[in-house]
Amino acid sequence: MSFPRKIVFYFLLLFSAFLLFFPVLYAFMISFMTGGEIMQGKFFPQTFTLDNYFRVFERLPLMKYLMNSFVVSTGVMIGQLIVCSMSAYAFVFIPFKGRDFIFFLFISTMMIPWEATMIPNFFTIQKLDWTNTYQGLTVPFFALAFGTFLLRQHFKTIPKELFEASQIAGLSRFAFFWRVILPVSKTSLVTLGAYGFLTTWNMYLWPLLVTNNDQVRTVQIGLKQLQSQEVATEWGVVMAGVIVVIIPTLLLLFIGQKQLQKGLTQGALK
Amino acid sequence: MKKNVRLLFIFSVIFSMMLLAACSNNESKPEPEPSKKNSEEKETGESPSRMEINFWHAMSGAGQEALDRIVADFNSSQEKYTVNAEFQGTYEESLTKLRSVGGTKDAPAITQVFEVGTKFMIDSGYIEPMQSFIDKDNYDLSQLEENILNYYRVDGKLYSMPFNSSTPVMIYNKDAFKEAGLDPEKPPQTFNEVKAAAEKLTKPGEQYGFSMLTYGWFFEQLVATQGGLYVNKENGRADDATEAEFNGEEGLRVFNFLNDMNKAGTLGNYGTNWDDIRAAFQTGKVAMYMDSSAGVAAAVNNSPFEVGVAFIPYPDEVDRQGVAIGGASLWMSKGIAKEEQEAAWEFMKYLTTPEVQAKWHIGTGYFAINPAAYNEDIVKAEWEKYPQLKVTVDQLQQTKPSVATQGALISVFPESRQQIVTALENLYQGADPQEVLDQAAEGTNRAIEIANKTKK
Repeated sequence: MSFPRKIVFYFLLLFSAFLLFFPVLYAFMISFMTGGEIMQGKFFPQTFTLDNYFRVFERLPLMKYLMNSFVVSTGVMIGQLIVCSMSAYAFVFIPFKGRDFIFFLFISTMMIPWEATMIPNFFTIQKLDWTNTYQGLTVPFFALAFGTFLLRQHFKTIPKELFEASQIAGLSRFAFFWRVILPVSKTSLVTLGAYGFLTTWNMYLWPLLVTNNDQVRTVQIGLKQLQSQEVATEWGVVMAGVIVVIIPTLLLLFIGQKQLQKGLTQGALK
Repeated sequence: MKKNVRLLFIFSVIFSMMLLAACSNNESKPEPEPSKKNSEEKETGESPSRMEINFWHAMSGAGQEALDRIVADFNSSQEKYTVNAEFQGTYEESLTKLRSVGGTKDAPAITQVFEVGTKFMIDSGYIEPMQSFIDKDNYDLSQLEENILNYYRVDGKLYSMPFNSSTPVMIYNKDAFKEAGLDPEKPPQTFNEVKAAAEKLTKPGEQYGFSMLTYGWFFEQLVATQGGLYVNKENGRADDATEAEFNGEEGLRVFNFLNDMNKAGTLGNYGTNWDDIRAAFQTGKVAMYMDSSAGVAAAVNNSPFEVGVAFIPYPDEVDRQGVAIGGASLWMSKGIAKEEQEAAWEFMKYLTTPEVQAKWHIGTGYFAINPAAYNEDIVKAEWEKYPQLKVTVDQLQQTKPSVATQGALISVFPESRQQIVTALENLYQGADPQEVLDQAAEGTNRAIEIANKTKK
């Protein structure tokens, strides 16, 4: 690439990166400002104060919320990986009657928005007496049509010959799944895992619905508690909370970036 | 092949067992918490036989802070009861949650419900009217603020305990008044005065004279202060309302007032978000605006100029009637144990004492429902710091009690407010005031009709 073109490209990249990152950057700046400064629309804080951070930890059992969010998100992530990989395996490697039909039925549930099934799900959880428990927060999310679809597309790229060879070698179906399929699908699994973790981390309505107290509540409800309705909101404190809450997700993105990129583009091309 | 299928079946059984085991592991996880709490309680020397009740509220931000402190004070002030204050999302969200447990033994002993949910709660059958405890206990209601009680009193009965109450006020920029040659100590009072002042205060492209949040509550208040009714059947207090009345001459006056300023370019429109209009005021883009009395302290603190607070304006041709309150009240559940109700009642009595109300007023800017609180030293000190707060209380206490200032009582208030928001938005786009008002009234009528039909 010629030098001027490079400059143009880098300029465009920098610009879009800034555009995308601006809200986070602004939140970061606000978390150091006092109430007046925020309302007057300043971008740089005049005095750096950490008050907002102290306040947010004082106000909320934030560590407990973070811990809960972590347990719930990890739980959903692991559950999704197990359920989706196994169902995808069945759809690809085990021939049975009406397989395609069942698969498309499965996929069509992607068209039903989660909100539409929320009320029946809630009644189920209530009847099971699972409100205020981790399983109430996690189990309804284990089966994910999108995850099954993603993994199925990847499993289909694995040559059938491999399956036949393994059968000749005397591997059982599960051994094949465990020792061959999973290792070669690492990128897709990481993608799905990260996706599951992040969406669960950001969930608000469901955790609010099935929890009544701080016992197993997640961080997003904590953030909501910082915002007032009629009394003026202290945005500095809210943003300090937001920054603390997005750190784990950012970390996850940085660590898993390479795998994520690979996995997502792979799904897009196939 | 068959063997494999069987293996898979066995495996899936094992897996589901594993899953169950994992779940029950999770289940056991939260358990150490209560036991820890118990041990903490023992450490502080509290008896384990305390009656525990849950209190669902929708207070976030500063309100939650103040509330948590009050609840903690109550729990340490006596030996018999423990109140757990639990946040349940916004007013709308917590009301929805209550619907799933209302009337059962899982319902919280106390729930905070916003003022426009009053009618819904009375009709729901979830609740124990406050009046039964007031009568049993010979509780002296006269110590509470009459103008607040009036809102929650239906057919002479108090169904819920008023809690956080606020009214609208007009907040203005004193520095901008001086600059425009207006007297900062004499804010405009009538619609015409506000229009004239807004004219002088407007600097094209820089500062608007007046603004009002596009929110139904403010419209209701501007109608109420003229003595106008929102719905028929005495504002829905004599019987179930069947028709909206806000599109009469009182409502039209309000819409004309806004329309005139909009046409003259002296009205700033900042949408439906509280924080947006506050930001506009604090950056000097708007010189006068209507806000909740609960937002006064923050406006004074955050503005880099002198802030004044005035009564809400009224049309020149009528007398000022005052304001109706907004906010929320506390409801006691029916269908829970008698002891729990007792505990809830004790807590509510504690809440209404002057000392607690003084703390509440200072912590949040909401009114004290017990006016004796205004004589507490902490309130006096606060008023010295923020003389603007006193204006809000004066406005409430000077309100003339009537069905208009009692506030309307309809179960479909949220829908109706949405209709008003749409009407205001259309008005600002240049539509005819009477026309948009009629449309809003029609929409409200439809909602009322459906609600009345489904009720019986």
